[in-house]
Amino acid sequence: MINTNSGIKLFLYKYTPMILLFTSILNEIDFNNLGLKYFSFNFSYILIFYYSLRRTESLGYIYIFIAGLFNDVMVGVPIGTSSLSYLLLCAATAYLRNITLRPNIIKDWIFFLITISFLNFISFIVLMLIFEYEVSYFDQIINITFTFLLYLVFSYLFNFYDNFLLGKMNVR
Amino acid sequence: MERSRDDFVIAVRSAFLIKGNQQRFSILSLILFSIIFLVLGNFNFKIINYTKILIRDVIYSASFVATIPENFIKRSYNNMVGHYEHYGEYKKIKSELDNLKKKDLSKQIITFENIQLKKVIDDYFIKSNETFAKVLIDKRSPFLKSIVLNKGSKNGIKIGMIVLDDSYLIGKVVEVNYLTSRVLLVSDINSKVPVSIEPIGIQAIMSGTGKQNGVLQYIDVETIENNSEDLLVVTSGAGSIFNSGIPIGKINKKVDLNNGQIFINFYKDFTQLKYVKVSSNKKIGSEQSIKKEFQLNNKQIATINSQKESFEILRQQKNIVDEVRAIIEKENSALKNKLIELGLKLRIAENKKINQPDQEEIKFLRLNLLYAHKCRKNILNQLHKVGTPKYKACVLNKGKKND
Repeated sequence: MINTNSGIKLFLYKYTPMILLFTSILNEIDFNNLGLKYFSFNFSYILIFYYSLRRTESLGYIYIFIAGLFNDVMVGVPIGTSSLSYLLLCAATAYLRNITLRPNIIKDWIFFLITISFLNFISFIVLMLIFEYEVSYFDQIINITFTFLLYLVFSYLFNFYDNFLLGKMNVR
Repeated sequence: MERSRDDFVIAVRSAFLIKGNQQRFSILSLILFSIIFLVLGNFNFKIINYTKILIRDVIYSASFVATIPENFIKRSYNNMVGHYEHYGEYKKIKSELDNLKKKDLSKQIITFENIQLKKVIDDYFIKSNETFAKVLIDKRSPFLKSIVLNKGSKNGIKIGMIVLDDSYLIGKVVEVNYLTSRVLLVSDINSKVPVSIEPIGIQAIMSGTGKQNGVLQYIDVETIENNSEDLLVVTSGAGSIFNSGIPIGKINKKVDLNNGQIFINFYKDFTQLKYVKVSSNKKIGSEQSIKKEFQLNNKQIATINSQKESFEILRQQKNIVDEVRAIIEKENSALKNKLIELGLKLRIAENKKINQPDQEEIKFLRLNLLYAHKCRKNILNQLHKVGTPKYKACVLNKGKKND
């Protein structure tokens, strides 16, 4: 019984990020549906940044790439846009990991802001200049702001969840 | 300095090129794949299009399956809420139904009149082909407002078809796959719809805002500001993408005229779409017989117009004649009055004339009594014979001889 429980916990610990990523992309429910006029954030960015920084092995690059394709199809933007953004986010986290000796949540947070600003800039350029989509600057800024602000909240939640699973499994 | 640059290069190279634990591809190779996808997506190759259609169909289906539990929960919740609100809704709907029944007849009459008038103005006829579809995915992205339907090219759906919920416009088809299709909602910022604002009849372009409302473009705000009623926004039919007269929303003057922008409240809540109607409008020309009828009508209209012009001229002539007659009648009455006056004067003069001899006669008779013997001829004298002017003159002269 204990072994079965540990197996489930291990499975959850291993695959939760990927399940969360694909669920958030494929499902209609996300926090943008609250109906608030000036509220939107990109949950995928937070998830990918957090897990590819803390647990690289939990989100494979190929899955992130596929998730990006799924997101593009779901949202209706040209295929490849989100994949490019997600992979650039992974590259940024890999770079941050390489240059960091002592991880600090505030430094990660600031780096996250710079990265998502850059990524939104890239996707904005791709959509506006190449594919001639009309995108609202104001919505972009709101999205970046809330994604940045909520990173701290979600990083604590993810951290809590991982510690909870690890504590139960007693593998730390 | 040199060392820090080396560190940066090494860190970047490591980030992009080195595969992590359990990673099968490096980030750089996948980024290149993404860029290739993007670039190829920009070209209209058949193979790429088919691949895209396949990917989309698979993902939409996967998404539909993935959303089953969520939809079940959502539906259950809505059912619960719906039961609570059932009675109130029932009463409201009943009263609305009564009102609609009343309006239905007048609507039928108006529709019939509309068809007749379109015939008269040589408008084209719209042949409508409708397909009902279920909303598979309602992914509410903060940037793109669209829905995915469970009907695709297999069911005759084509790009550009209009999508309605009841009779209200909600968007148009922008992407068609074999089994599914994507609809760009009118609330999307990329959506541009030519509209007409009724009842004032002003034309404008409506754009989405990315929220639950739209905004009017290319319109003078003052033209709306002067109006005191709520205005209806319907498709104008310009550009032949949407046929005319499809209701979209309304402009509430008090609320929606803010910062020089005119906002439109949509009739439909786009977050609650379940089944929609995809409609294609085929523009068909008039048939030969109808064309002939139109030509005949046109001729008749031209004849009537020319007759109308002649009639107008005649009417003007009549007016002039009436005016002249009125003047003549006036002059005539003035002359009549003058004539009457003159007649009176004449009579008075005649009376005077008549009265004057009477007095002379009376004077003569009176003097005749006194002096007749001095003027009358008899055997003894050689005076004047009675009744002759000389006699009269003698009497009037009182019997005296003038000579």
